[in-house]
Amino acid sequence: MAAEQPRRSDAWSIDWRLVAAAFVLVAVALHLSPPLVAFAIIEVMIFALYASALNLLLSYSGMVSFGHAVYFGLGAYGLAITIAKFGWPIWAGILAGPLTSALFGLIYGALCVQLTAIYAAMLTLACAEITFAIVFQWFDFTGGDSGISGHVPAMLGLSPAWFGVVVLVVVTVCILALWRVVHAPLGLTIRAVGENPVRAAAMGHGRKRVQLAAFVISAFLSGVAGTLYGIFHGNVFPEYVGVLFTIDGLVMVLLGGLYSFGAGIYGAIVYKLLDNVMAHYFEYWQLVIGVILVLVVLVSPAGIAGLVATVVARLRGRAA
Amino acid sequence: MSAAAPAPGNAAAALEVRGLVKRFGQFVALDGVDLKVAPREIRAVIGPNGAGKTTLINVLGGQLVADGGTVEVHGRRLGRQHPHQVAKLGVGRTFQISSTFRRMTVLDNMLYAHHAGGGRWFGLDAARLRGLREPAMADLDTIGLTHCADQVVDDVSHGDRKRLEFGMVLATRPTLLLLDEPTAGMGLGERQELIELVLSVARDRGLTLVFVEHDIDAVFRAAESITVMALGRVFAEGTPDEIAGNEEVQEIYLGGRR
Repeated sequence: MAAEQPRRSDAWSIDWRLVAAAFVLVAVALHLSPPLVAFAIIEVMIFALYASALNLLLSYSGMVSFGHAVYFGLGAYGLAITIAKFGWPIWAGILAGPLTSALFGLIYGALCVQLTAIYAAMLTLACAEITFAIVFQWFDFTGGDSGISGHVPAMLGLSPAWFGVVVLVVVTVCILALWRVVHAPLGLTIRAVGENPVRAAAMGHGRKRVQLAAFVISAFLSGVAGTLYGIFHGNVFPEYVGVLFTIDGLVMVLLGGLYSFGAGIYGAIVYKLLDNVMAHYFEYWQLVIGVILVLVVLVSPAGIAGLVATVVARLRGRAA
Repeated sequence: MSAAAPAPGNAAAALEVRGLVKRFGQFVALDGVDLKVAPREIRAVIGPNGAGKTTLINVLGGQLVADGGTVEVHGRRLGRQHPHQVAKLGVGRTFQISSTFRRMTVLDNMLYAHHAGGGRWFGLDAARLRGLREPAMADLDTIGLTHCADQVVDDVSHGDRKRLEFGMVLATRPTLLLLDEPTAGMGLGERQELIELVLSVARDRGLTLVFVEHDIDAVFRAAESITVMALGRVFAEGTPDEIAGNEEVQEIYLGGRR
């Protein structure tokens, strides 16, 4: 009986053919597309990483962050301030971006894990509001509402296609790393604590440090996304740490489908597609997103990921 | 029952509780409970609803903090330990309403239990989890759950979830096992099977077992000694025969059964 190989083993390993195919497809698309389309693809990739990082909290760790733009935006600020205010070279700024996010993730996370459920979520919001206020008002250090620009050439001076390839490589590596975390012993602990902290504690795993670890990882990867975003545009503004970027991330994960690894990726693609396409034709496109979100929550809580899984299962069923 | 309870004054008891008090506002749930359980003893705790049985288990497991009294596990005094620290002292427990990871598969639940039993929570080496697969499947075999290993726990039956929870707790290798109504809500056949399973595992591994149970037949069949609680106190204690012959116990609990 024990020798029988469990069928689900495939869910634990990465399908490298799929990864390679997606990678090549996007790289080719970047080179064949006009710049405006390449910009859109880059934006989707950056947000796919940001939303995937947020998804680690929402789907696995049992936490909700109502202020995740802080860790996204501080990546861009870490980059800008290190270069523009401290006069350090660009590579140091690129390292400083995600590390700044991780540091704030550690500080704010340590506070937030002291509470649970809605109270913890409200604390993430409070931390975000404090950060936004500081960034917005500390003119000498952060540039206030006019932000910081000119510290780094937009897209590092590369063509949209080649900068897109750089983003593609970084985002792919980060999402693969996230996959690794989720499916490693650490990820199993995070999922267990996130789903049933009482049971996990009775098995010897305390909630706080596990959730804090998840929070810091999520903040770091959000910071990578934010740093890329700062390089992409060659500037940084307070909106990057603001509530709208937080909501973007939350909507993407919900659209993509809670409790699935791909939620952030699917959500970013669909959300940014709607954003880019519909904004051209329809003044109130956000209304459409709102309606779609309500439909997803009511009709298909598993989101796009659930839809994809259903379709794949149907196709496999037909092939068999 | 066979193994006679060790004489008092023997080496450290597996569990020693003195004067345990727990209040919820004005309500006194535990009103000075004393309890001594010898290593490898199989002890049932019975009593009418509201006697404080579940509260006792929750205080012992660290889920609740006592307002007074002391608890010693294998001679080590428990203070205000968190549940995960209590677990690390070798105390495993199940809950009245089975507590598992319902979004995960049965196998992943058991994998997690083995991972948790290893004592670490971090680690990025996925190969370590793959190495736990075989022992996890072997455990599922022991508790008779290989047929639903790949099912999400939410989709398996109530009885299977109870078995799974018991199996998971065993996988963390506890020395003192606290079971809060292990057979609650199960069918008659299932109940007997589970009790047999619990007993055989406890004996094989030399575990100390404290279980709360409403099924009187199961209690008298399984327990070596019985503690009867009422109104937050220990009302009577003794072998099954002694308890069965205690008229006061019969009056308050067994409904005057002869």
